Amino acid sequence: MATPPALDVPPEPPSKRRKTSPDPPSRNDTPDVGLPSSSFPAVADLAEQLDDQERKKYVKGKKLGSGQYADVFSAHLVSDPSKLVAIKKIKVGPEVKEFGISYDSLREIRFLQELDHPNIIKLHAVFSTKNQNLNLVLEHLPQGDLLKLIQDTGGITYTAADIKAWMLMLMRATHFCHANGILHRDIKPNNLLLAADGSVKLADFGLARAMADPFQPMTYNTITIWYRPPELFFQAQHYGGAVDVWSCGCVFAELISREVLFRAWPETEINMVKLICEKVGTPTEENWPGVGKLRGYVTPAEIVPLKPRDQWFAAFRAVGEVGVDLLIKMLTLDPRERLTAESVLKHEYWTSDPRPSKLRDLPRKGGGENTMGQDLTQRGGELPQTNGGRGDRVARKIDFGAGK
Amino acid sequence: MSRFTQPKAAPVSKRDPRTGVVQSQDGELLHSHMRLMSLHDGKSIPTDNATLDVCPVCKSARYMNPSLRFLVNPECYHKMCESCVDRIFSHGPAACPIKGCGRTLRKHRFREQTFEDIKVEREVDIRKKVGATFNRREEDFETLLAYNDYLNDVEDITFNLINGIDLEDTNRKFEAYARAHGKEIEENAQMAVQERQSFSAAQKLERQQARERREAARREEEEEKREVEENRRDVLNRLASGADAETVAKEGQRVQLKKRMDRQAAAERQRQLQAAEDAHSGRTSKFVIKGLKTKQKPEPEAPVDPFGGLRLVDSYFTLQDDYVWEGIQEARKDVKQTAGGYDVRDYAHRSLVAAFSGLGVFVADEVTERDKLAQSDEAVGTARADVGLKDADLMTAP
Repeated sequence: MATPPALDVPPEPPSKRRKTSPDPPSRNDTPDVGLPSSSFPAVADLAEQLDDQERKKYVKGKKLGSGQYADVFSAHLVSDPSKLVAIKKIKVGPEVKEFGISYDSLREIRFLQELDHPNIIKLHAVFSTKNQNLNLVLEHLPQGDLLKLIQDTGGITYTAADIKAWMLMLMRATHFCHANGILHRDIKPNNLLLAADGSVKLADFGLARAMADPFQPMTYNTITIWYRPPELFFQAQHYGGAVDVWSCGCVFAELISREVLFRAWPETEINMVKLICEKVGTPTEENWPGVGKLRGYVTPAEIVPLKPRDQWFAAFRAVGEVGVDLLIKMLTLDPRERLTAESVLKHEYWTSDPRPSKLRDLPRKGGGENTMGQDLTQRGGELPQTNGGRGDRVARKIDFGAGK
Repeated sequence: MSRFTQPKAAPVSKRDPRTGVVQSQDGELLHSHMRLMSLHDGKSIPTDNATLDVCPVCKSARYMNPSLRFLVNPECYHKMCESCVDRIFSHGPAACPIKGCGRTLRKHRFREQTFEDIKVEREVDIRKKVGATFNRREEDFETLLAYNDYLNDVEDITFNLINGIDLEDTNRKFEAYARAHGKEIEENAQMAVQERQSFSAAQKLERQQARERREAARREEEEEKREVEENRRDVLNRLASGADAETVAKEGQRVQLKKRMDRQAAAERQRQLQAAEDAHSGRTSKFVIKGLKTKQKPEPEAPVDPFGGLRLVDSYFTLQDDYVWEGIQEARKDVKQTAGGYDVRDYAHRSLVAAFSGLGVFVADEVTERDKLAQSDEAVGTARADVGLKDADLMTAP
C-alpha cells in the first residue's frame, strides 16, 4: 500500500531533525499498537511499519539526475532485479524554499495514484525515509524524452507516421486525464518521456489540478510559457481542457518543424502574445467573442488577420492536408472553438494515411544513453527477445558495393 | 600370392561423408550395454600398442596372418579376431570369452572398429543413440535460449551415460523421454532422412549437369577440328587439280569462316530454344537457396482505433444540454467564465459521474475473486494481501 505521509502532522523543523540522527527511538512516544515490534525495533506505529516494508522492497541504484526539487535514482525490486523503477526523491530541508512537502509533489502523488493508462507514467508506490523525505517510485523510462528527439536534428530523422504515432499516444493520455477531470497544465516535449518500448508517457503532474467548479478561480500563471494558450495570457481564471489541447498543438507543430512554435525571446508574456498574434492572428471580438472582457486582454495595436489555411499548409506540409487541418483546429484562438481532447481523437487524421508507426519502428534516442538504456533493459531473462541474439552466430554479409 | 596383395585390414568406414557422424542401424536399448559398462576399470580392455595386433582370445598375431581382422561388440567392446567370432558365436549367443566379462554376445552385433581408441568408439556410439532420440531441431523452439537449454540438458544426459554417472536415473529419464515423445522423434528422424536425400539428389543433379556441359564442350571442339581438317583437304585437292593458289586459299578461308558463323548462329538458336522451353516449364533458375524458413503471411491490420480501446460510456445517466440550477445558469451567462473556455457542461458531467460513481461496483464479488486468486497462488497471494490492490499492478510492471 502506498502510504502517504501523515499530512496532519507538521514536519519538524530541519534544525531539530538533524540533531536527532544518532538516536532514532527518541520519537517513540506513540502508543504501541501490539504489532510484533521485535522485527522493527525502531518503529512503533503501523504507518511507519508499512512505510518501512515498502521502502525495503527496492534497492536504490545510481543517481540518474538531480534537479532543484528532486533527485532521481535508478532502482530495482529486491525480489526481482530485472524489474527496474525510478525513485524520485523529493528534497526537503533548508535548500528548498518551500517549507514542508511541496505542492508539486502532493499534486503529483494525488493524480498519479488515480491515473492508470499506458501513456501516463505509473506511480508504483510512495514511501518516506527517516528524514521524512518523500520518495516516489515511478515507472522506469530509459529512453529520454521527446525534446531530445526533436532537438537531435543531426542524428535522428523521423517520418510523418512517427509523428502521428507520438501525437496519438499524447492525445490518448490527455483525453484520459480530461475524462477523469484532471488538467495536466504542463504538456511540453520534455514532459513526454519515452519508455523502453518506444511509447510516449506523459509525466510531471506537478502543475496538474482537478477541473474547477463554476466560479472557483484557477491560476492563470501556469503551463510553461511557450506552450501557454492565449486565454491564460489574458488572465482567464476559468478555463477547461482546451488549455492542454493548445499545448498539444504546440507539441504537434514542434514535432513537424523541429523548432518551438512560439519561441518568444525574451520569454515575457507580452512577447508571447505578440508572437501568437503574428503566427496565428490577433484575438478580436470577431474571432473570439467575449475576449475583450477578460482581465488581461492586451494585443498589439496592429491587428493581424487570422492566418489563412494555405500558409499553415506551406509551413506544415509534412503531415498533409488532414494533419494541418487538425493542427489549425488545435491552435484555434477561441478555447470554445478549439477541439476538445475527445474530438481531437475523433478527427480523421488518425485513420487517414499514413498509418501511425508501430512502437518498435519508432526512433529511439541516439548516442550513449541509448545504449545504456538498452543495456538496462536487457537484464535477467529478457535477452532472447532481442533480435540481435543470433548475431554472433550468423556469418556477416559483406557489402562490396559500399566501398565505392 | 593373393594373400599378400590383399589389403591389410581394409578400413571399412561407415562414416557419413556430410556430417562426419558414424551411422548405425542398431536400435538396441541403450541401458542394456550401459548397465555394467564402465571404463574406469580399463583392465579388461586392451588399449596398449603391444597387444594391439594379437587376438586376446586365440593369441594369433597379425605377423602370422596379415588378413587378421578385429571386431568388437558394442555390448562390452572387447576386441577379438574374426575367426574367433565365427568359431564362438556361429551357433547362437554365447558368453564373451574374455576373462571376467562373460556377457552374452550375438554374432550379428559384431562389427569393425571405426576409431582406434575404444573409448572414442564407445562415446560415438552413445552420442549416436542419444542423438537419435533427442533429435529436436532449432525450429521447434520459440527462442534460441530455449534451444540452447535443451542442448545443455541433452549434453548432461550424454555426459552421464558416457562417464557412468547416475546411470540408473539417467536411463530412466532417457526412456521416459523416448516413450513420451515417440511420435515426434519418428517425425524428426524422417525429416532428417528426407533432407539428406534431397541434398544428395541435388548434388547428383549438379554433377550430372557439369558432366553434360563438359561433354558438349568436348564435342564442339572435335567438330571444329574435323571441319578444319576437311577444309584443308579440300584446298589441297583443288590445288592438286591445278587451280590458282591464292584464290583457292582465300576461298578456303571464306568457307571456313562461313561455317563457323553458321555454327555459332545454330548454337545461339539452340540456346534460345532451350531457354524458351525452360521458361515454359518454369525451370529458368536452377539456383535454389536451401534452408529458408517458410514465412507466414501477416494478418491484415485492424483499422486504427484512436481511442486505443478506451470506451468511456455513461451507462447510468444521459447528459442534458441544460440544467435549471442557477449555479449553472449564471456560469453559462458569465462572459468571464465562458470566454476563458470554461464549459459548465464539463462540470455537469463531472458531477453526474461523481453522483453515480460506485454503482455497479460490488466489493464482495471482487473480494471473492481476489480470494480465489490467492488460493490458486498461495505465495503470491499472501504477498499481495498485505501490499494491497494497488501494488498488484507492480508485479506485472516493468
